[in-house]
Amino acid sequence: MPTRRSFLSATGAAAALALTGTLPGLDAVGIPHRTDKRPLFTLGVASGDPLPDAVVIWTRLAPGPLEPFGGMDDRTVNVEWEVAEDEYFRRVVRRGTAHARPEYAHTVHVDVRGLRSWRHYFYRFRANGQVSPVGRTRTAPAPADQPAVSLAVASCQAYYDGFYTAYQDVVRRDHDVVLFLGDYIYEVGVGPTAGVRNQPVPVDFAGEIVTLDEYRARYALHKTDPDLQAAHAAAPWIVTLDDHEVEGNWAGYVSEDGVPHDDFVVRRANGFRAYWEHMPLRLDQSPDGPSIRLYRHLRYGRTADLSVLDTRQFRDDQTSTGGWLPPDEVSQDPARTITGDAQERWLLDTLHHSGSRWNVVAQQVAMAQLDRKTGPDLELPMDTWNGYVGSRDRVLCGVRDRQVRNFVVLTGDLHRAVASDLRVNFADPSTPAVGTEFVTTSISSGKDGVDSDATGKALLAENPHVKFQSVQRGYLSCRLDSSQWTSEYRVVDRVVTPGGTASTRATLVVEDGRPGTHLA
Amino acid sequence: MKRARTALLAVPLALLVPAVAVASSNNQVEISATPQPVEVVPLPCFPSGKLSLGMTNTGRKPTIADLRISADSSLTLSRHQFSSYLPVDQLVKAPLEITVPRGTAPATHSVDLSVGREHLSVPVTIKPVPARDNLLLGEQAVASSTNGDMKLCGGVDGNTDSAQWGASGWHDATKGVFPDTYGVDFVQPTTVGRIVVQTLDSAKYPAAVMGIRDFDVQVRTGTTWTTVGQFRDNVQGFLTVTFAPVAVDAVQLVIHDSNDHGYSRIIELEAYAN
Repeated sequence: MPTRRSFLSATGAAAALALTGTLPGLDAVGIPHRTDKRPLFTLGVASGDPLPDAVVIWTRLAPGPLEPFGGMDDRTVNVEWEVAEDEYFRRVVRRGTAHARPEYAHTVHVDVRGLRSWRHYFYRFRANGQVSPVGRTRTAPAPADQPAVSLAVASCQAYYDGFYTAYQDVVRRDHDVVLFLGDYIYEVGVGPTAGVRNQPVPVDFAGEIVTLDEYRARYALHKTDPDLQAAHAAAPWIVTLDDHEVEGNWAGYVSEDGVPHDDFVVRRANGFRAYWEHMPLRLDQSPDGPSIRLYRHLRYGRTADLSVLDTRQFRDDQTSTGGWLPPDEVSQDPARTITGDAQERWLLDTLHHSGSRWNVVAQQVAMAQLDRKTGPDLELPMDTWNGYVGSRDRVLCGVRDRQVRNFVVLTGDLHRAVASDLRVNFADPSTPAVGTEFVTTSISSGKDGVDSDATGKALLAENPHVKFQSVQRGYLSCRLDSSQWTSEYRVVDRVVTPGGTASTRATLVVEDGRPGTHLA
Repeated sequence: MKRARTALLAVPLALLVPAVAVASSNNQVEISATPQPVEVVPLPCFPSGKLSLGMTNTGRKPTIADLRISADSSLTLSRHQFSSYLPVDQLVKAPLEITVPRGTAPATHSVDLSVGREHLSVPVTIKPVPARDNLLLGEQAVASSTNGDMKLCGGVDGNTDSAQWGASGWHDATKGVFPDTYGVDFVQPTTVGRIVVQTLDSAKYPAAVMGIRDFDVQVRTGTTWTTVGQFRDNVQGFLTVTFAPVAVDAVQLVIHDSNDHGYSRIIELEAYAN
């Protein structure tokens, strides 16, 4: 039988954050308040981390999304939820009441269980007589099934740098799931006109965010965007974070700005807390103070195994500034790690035991060697796997030695699209590829892109394993079936003004059983 | 289809999750604030009204706490909320800035802080505007733009120490784009005969590398700007312009380039009657 799951509190004391299956009217905690007649569901709805029988659905009550406490008072509010097979909610299959609690910024996470595999569901919430927008989600395929799967891959959505036009295309092309690989928010100040958006933003947003209320407000600002809301409402998301959800270039317990350790522990905990509150994540991912279990494994039947990584929380510090530099003793020190030992072991074990056709790793920073210096010398981005060669060697050799089938790495961070073969020895183009990496570009970070720049030309010229690059904004639209992986780099011609046009800049394929990619 | 749905609905929905306590026991959080009383000078950019808020978790487990901040309507607060993760026995701080409109009479007010059942009332003393030789000190700065991590008031806050640049300086938001402007609009005509410009100049960031390079010093009477000083290829941190004292409505710098060709950095702009 499908069973209910209760959410327990982040600190281990048993707070029921959200309940599945309680009947309206049986609840003893709160009485609906009518303190605010403004719209409550200003930040939309979301769903995430689909399983064959379950999915997390999310919303937040925020009548004043940019106001203190989102415009809410300090009372708990009952939120009813419904999941149906049809968008008119004639065939409701699950419903219940959750509690939007002030200590979770009135967010609601419900882990809806007892669903059927690989089908669309529609969900909505109701509070204080108001009904939320309807979201559509899709469960994962049954373990033995292997349907074709479509996925969108996105990262880096600086609010002040551009409009989220690319998400309109994500919705239009109808993906089964959206992967978001980090930099959902940026921690630096947002000016009074929100950069290129020319939208008035309260002066409270001008500074770098440090406290929990500031992180919460920053998520609220991003989530007011209608294109982002539409993309969340169209498909489940599987998310991980990168550096800007906490602070640019943070590494483990090391702050980029030299913040004292004890202060940074608090800041990291604040960043994680606000992240979990605003993402459609399970209780398993809710942070325990400054620790969060974001690396995890999801399956799409026998079509794909998905390993989601966290390459920030457990990494050794960046060598030097983390910028583009020649390799040195530190970056090549085999003892250094970008994943931490436990996550690395878990990843290789997961890959080893996979029975799926496509073995996908969804993670933050570039794994392929990316040399941008003309000639024999190398200049590499040191805050990526390029600065942690020991980690990369262990993972790629592990993939080779375990004969991992169809190894595909999906990456964000660079604000540039890059498609590469992955080799155990990048210096020797004659060695066979052991996998493929598709780096998605930014949704908006970096403002309007260009098709190519000096770095892009150098990447193509200096790295035989690099098959494509572009500096346009956009996302990656993928389709996986039994014979082929197809990656379409969807780019938008502009983001600093609304109304940009999306098109396919390049299509690359990976054939089943043949590591490495080529232009279609 | 029908059968599957029925099975799902047959799950005993009334099986309740055990009753539980709320995670954050807010009565185990101590509130603090320094200094007390906090003094506020009724000028828009005067360095006053800065309160450091603190929360300390005196319980046995880490918690999340939401501090609510309120005051009567004569005080303007930079934040109304301070929420944080609180480890056990660690003071966690956040800044609060209190401002009042120009012309507010000396008086005593309070800012009220509360977490759960804990409350703290912090006295706020409105001071008279002090006598100032530097006519720009604390006056409303105006700029072509201000970078996100800098403060508009940073160049008229009385702090001339380039070592405290990050906390107390100003630069524009438009990297590599000139001209930039920075100055003060007076609320009434004010006689000015000397203007002192201090650009960023520290051991780490010398003016010759990071300071403003080409700029004009201007005063406005009515709608007419008059250039009273012009600097080109400057590498100094401290520059003075002296001229026959004149009643003006505004003072500004028009910056055409900086030594790094990126941002226009001002640690302090001052004006004197003579």
